[in-house]
Amino acid sequence: MQENKGYLQISFAWLFAIIVGAVILFIAIFFSSKLIKTEQEEISLKTGKEFGILLNPLETGFESLKSNSIIMPIESRIYNKCNLDGVFGRQRIQISQKNFGKWTETDLDVGFSNKYLFSENVVEGKKYFLFSKPLNFPFKVTDLIIVTSSEKKYCFQNAPEEIANEISRINQENLYVENCSKRNANVVICFEGESGCNINVDYEDGIVKKGSDTIYFEGDALMYAAIFSDKNIYECQLKRIMKRIKTLSTIYIDKANFVSMIGCNTNLNSDLLVLINLADNLKSSSELNSIKLIADDIDEKNKEAICKLW
Amino acid sequence: MVVKETPCFLLNFLEALKGGIFSLPPIDTTLNCLRRKSRKIKTISNKSQFKIQQMAFMLLAVTLFFVLAGIFVLIFKFSDLKDAATEISEKNALLLVTRLANSPEFSCGEVFDYAGIACIDSDKVMALKQSQKEYGDFWGVLNIEIRKILSNKTDECTIKNYPDCGFIKIKRSDEIGDFISNFVILCRKNGFEGEVYDKCEISRLMVSYKPI
Repeated sequence: MQENKGYLQISFAWLFAIIVGAVILFIAIFFSSKLIKTEQEEISLKTGKEFGILLNPLETGFESLKSNSIIMPIESRIYNKCNLDGVFGRQRIQISQKNFGKWTETDLDVGFSNKYLFSENVVEGKKYFLFSKPLNFPFKVTDLIIVTSSEKKYCFQNAPEEIANEISRINQENLYVENCSKRNANVVICFEGESGCNINVDYEDGIVKKGSDTIYFEGDALMYAAIFSDKNIYECQLKRIMKRIKTLSTIYIDKANFVSMIGCNTNLNSDLLVLINLADNLKSSSELNSIKLIADDIDEKNKEAICKLW
Repeated sequence: MVVKETPCFLLNFLEALKGGIFSLPPIDTTLNCLRRKSRKIKTISNKSQFKIQQMAFMLLAVTLFFVLAGIFVLIFKFSDLKDAATEISEKNALLLVTRLANSPEFSCGEVFDYAGIACIDSDKVMALKQSQKEYGDFWGVLNIEIRKILSNKTDECTIKNYPDCGFIKIKRSDEIGDFISNFVILCRKNGFEGEVYDKCEISRLMVSYKPI
């Protein structure tokens, strides 16, 4: 009986080609995936930087409010981060975009020292609404920029007349005033202690209550900031604002010395030093009231001065 | 074409069968067979070496191709990235120069009778100049300066020569960069015979960015 033994005859050349081919394919796939990841990170960084730069036109002059909108090419997530490093702290923006149904992961973010964004920690959507409001404390400190997504609708219930008028003036698609039950809003903001609201605002005492969080504000600009942002963002940005108040106060003290040389005494230096001290020691928004009192006092004195400092 | 040859041990075995189970094949048959085998091994070895050399060259060529293609892609990508970075810096400088006069460090506020959107408080800017180090990269640009257009003075403003000077350098950098400018009104308080009045001059606010 003849025995047939089947065997696969692979020559050295074939074996070599298969191994080398596999290695080349592996390297190609590895580098391609690395390149795609780098590309995604590059897009995120570029978008973040452009987003930050597009906030420049929101700097207000004599306007009490400015609004704008930004449309991203694809569904995106804006991670609003704030840190207190350095003289002014940093506003950090991280952007993640949706690619084939998955959010791109990146640790890279872009930073700005001269921007103050107030929003939730993560804002998701394709279209973003931005409005800025100047913060005077007692001089103009900065413009607070409020960022919301078009996907989230806010309704102001029983808001004071000036607030209701201002909201109507912004003419932002996702902000409504009154008739909140008909508006199908995601977030209802109440001003008269009504029940069933997501956010309760005590306009007189300067308190915003969101679930278990209590945030304190002084003035309309900080009220909007408190309504639209998460507590950690608000508190961090407030500390950054205090750092700016400190530096601006120093500039005004130097300016007061300049104008005093031409016979224009302002007598504000000692008050400004108190303001610097208070701003430097602010621990949380609950201490804002004491700074506001001295700020109002300084503002009165400045208005009465022959040579105003601001 | 593969030439199949009877192996030596088989030849020896056949020779053994022919002469009986215990008889050994003649020594010359075995030697001849081994000689033939040695020649064949040498031929195969030469052929394999040639093939390995061929493959090595091929491998080298393929690797070189991928490396060159990779370098090309990287160069293309980096030049694109550089362009994008320059474009972003330029956009930042452009938008900044139009809005900088409104920022609290520059704006006139309600200090002067003239209240315009592009009004810069000269006294405040001189004070800001003292805080240059603290501001560092605050605006994300290389240089910021304000030049008086109708002044015949050309020297930089310092505490000693202010306000009789030509330009105020607010942010200084070792690099010059590309400048973008905007017209502004530079106002300050001036004293004359005990009277204080507002003095405003047309100036140019210049911002430079780093082209990458």
